[in-house]
Amino acid sequence: MEAKPCFWQSKYQIHAQAFPRFGWKSCEKTDTALIKKKKKRYCCHDRCPIVYVHLQLFAGNDADEFSSILNRKSDPKILITTCRFNSTRGPAFISELLSVIPNAHYYKRGTYDLKKIVEYAKKKDFTSLIVVHTNRREPDALLIIGLPDGPTAHFKLSKLVLRKDVKNHGNPTSHIPELVLNNFTTRLGHRIGRMIQSLFPQAPNFGGRRVVTFHNQRDFIFFRHHRYIFESKESKQGDSKGNKDKDAKGEKSSRGKVVARLQECGPRFTLKLISLQHGTFDTKGGEYEWVHKPEMDTSRRRFFL
Amino acid sequence: MPRTSTLECPGCPPIRALTFDVLGLVKVTEARSKEGGIPKVVDRWGEPDSSKCILAASIDDRKSGPLLAIAREGGLIEILNPLNGHPCLSISNIIDNGPEPGDDAIVGLHLFKKQNLDLSSRSHTLLTCTTKGNASMRSVELTSSHADSTSSVSSRTWNVCASGNILCSQVDGNENYALFGGKGVEVNVWDLEQGTKIWTAKSPPKNSLGLFTPTWFTSATFLSKDDHRKFVAGTNSHQVRLYDISAQRRPVISFDFRETPIKAVAEDQDGYTIYIGNGSGDLASVDMRTGKLLGCFLGKCSGSIRSIARHPELPVIASCGLDSYLRFWDIKTRKVLSAVFLKQPLTNVVFDSNFAEEEVPSSVVDPPTEAQNTNETQESDEEEVQPLKRKKKSSKHSGSKKPKPKKRSKKAQDETVDDSS
Repeated sequence: MEAKPCFWQSKYQIHAQAFPRFGWKSCEKTDTALIKKKKKRYCCHDRCPIVYVHLQLFAGNDADEFSSILNRKSDPKILITTCRFNSTRGPAFISELLSVIPNAHYYKRGTYDLKKIVEYAKKKDFTSLIVVHTNRREPDALLIIGLPDGPTAHFKLSKLVLRKDVKNHGNPTSHIPELVLNNFTTRLGHRIGRMIQSLFPQAPNFGGRRVVTFHNQRDFIFFRHHRYIFESKESKQGDSKGNKDKDAKGEKSSRGKVVARLQECGPRFTLKLISLQHGTFDTKGGEYEWVHKPEMDTSRRRFFL
Repeated sequence: MPRTSTLECPGCPPIRALTFDVLGLVKVTEARSKEGGIPKVVDRWGEPDSSKCILAASIDDRKSGPLLAIAREGGLIEILNPLNGHPCLSISNIIDNGPEPGDDAIVGLHLFKKQNLDLSSRSHTLLTCTTKGNASMRSVELTSSHADSTSSVSSRTWNVCASGNILCSQVDGNENYALFGGKGVEVNVWDLEQGTKIWTAKSPPKNSLGLFTPTWFTSATFLSKDDHRKFVAGTNSHQVRLYDISAQRRPVISFDFRETPIKAVAEDQDGYTIYIGNGSGDLASVDMRTGKLLGCFLGKCSGSIRSIARHPELPVIASCGLDSYLRFWDIKTRKVLSAVFLKQPLTNVVFDSNFAEEEVPSSVVDPPTEAQNTNETQESDEEEVQPLKRKKKSSKHSGSKKPKPKKRSKKAQDETVDDSS
């Protein structure tokens, strides 16, 4: 694999150009460590050798709340619930989420307080709690709460397309999916990436040919769910097209090579991070690790995730 | 609409700050005016280890033999030399037959500045307070050979609160009184010499709806160095309260600030201004004589502010928090001087006020040369104070009318004048 820009350089190269007077460059030089940006196919260690080791990043990773799941010491168990008032599209979206995320359980909200639901989930050994919030009969926010003390990420949900509305959709199987997390380069993005990673079991079943993708671009996270199949194709010589986007249901045609065909199944939506809170859900007494403020939008090219 | 032009940050005056983070690392950041005032991380002490998360820190920055005390998770207290990070002493706060250190973490730590003038062995006093309310005052000796002396000359432990958790503790400027407050614990003021509680606060009455907010103090500080009677406390329900011991038990002034808990309060040297930082990264300065908000510090701080430090001489404050940034702010203009990314969520920051531009040899603890060293550092500090004052004057005059590039050239001119003189 060709060398991709390293973990720190990709963010700080952009910023060093835009803000030459800021002290951004100090962080490039302090540690001798840079990590190669790898597509987080966590299973394929042999394909992405790590060139340098970023000690503080790894120490931080070992210390954070997801390390026990990501080190395969415990299995994820997700509790999905909604806000108090449900809507037409809400239950349909939730049933699709249940098919996407393995080992997820749905409980009706009732009129319980969210803090009480967090305690209940802790008692029953859930590792994550997802709350789908609806507004005007459409799901519009997603709250992912790590348990027991995990951070709370509040996402804005938009552009939801249910499975039945996707053209030529496929039906997902129940194999454990492969997870692709793209472009979570900054420190905050890395943390959110690990949080999403901790929702899924860490032992993907490649035989099931199922892939779930979270692609971050300009602070929007695009969720897609595909089934793929490899086919060996013999094609004519002058027929080579360029590599298309991974989302396209197109064919990579080259001469006599193996081709991957994708079929989209499951919902399609985009998420945008509104705030990341340290600790479980507590709007009044909570402290935030990251919250978006309008004074942070100083440049059109600066993104946080 | 987002700004399309770049924003130039004015540089920092020469300062040195030490930050402490959740992985137990101590990072030293220095800004030198030769390099354009951009602070850089100069040193990093410790190994990344999350079981040694630093919970509290206190610096005694005397001119000779400054010391830095830090409290780590697991009940470990270390005393380091802030100039080179060498540990002088490490003590364990674990009490026999007491609760596990995991439950009873240290919340407050204070290294006393007064000490015996006996030069052969210097004893220092430490006040620590844990979440369950066990406050202990112990004095330790530091022998001149830097050996790990674990002898504690005297140690006194008492319980500050019967129930609840202590979340904040501070010692006043004259180091005779200490205050403690927390969740379910009203603020109390103790006399340290006699070991008695001299005052307890009373919570404000129920509001018009009959609702009573539970007591939950998240930060507190004394208002001025000389007066132990007035102090400011911030609560979990985003209220800032001024208490006066000599007046009444209920708060004298109380006002709301935004919507998240007040996580850090720091006082200014004029005795009436305070700086507050809350859980969503808003930093503001307030005049406590009237309770009026003087202004907010706008500067892209997106994480909870855990600690604010005010430089003893320069009009600079430093704030650090969960977004892993250390930011320096100018007090008068309330603008960011610069920001440093430090990779880990930060818990505390302190200033080392004896930072001089020239290289000063680190003061060694040998008794005969101590006097010489104090003279040297004092002289170099005096030289430094004058050029800084000149720079401040020029910036005041030119700041209002002339645009920024001209101001910088004036500063450069002043620098060259000083170097030649």
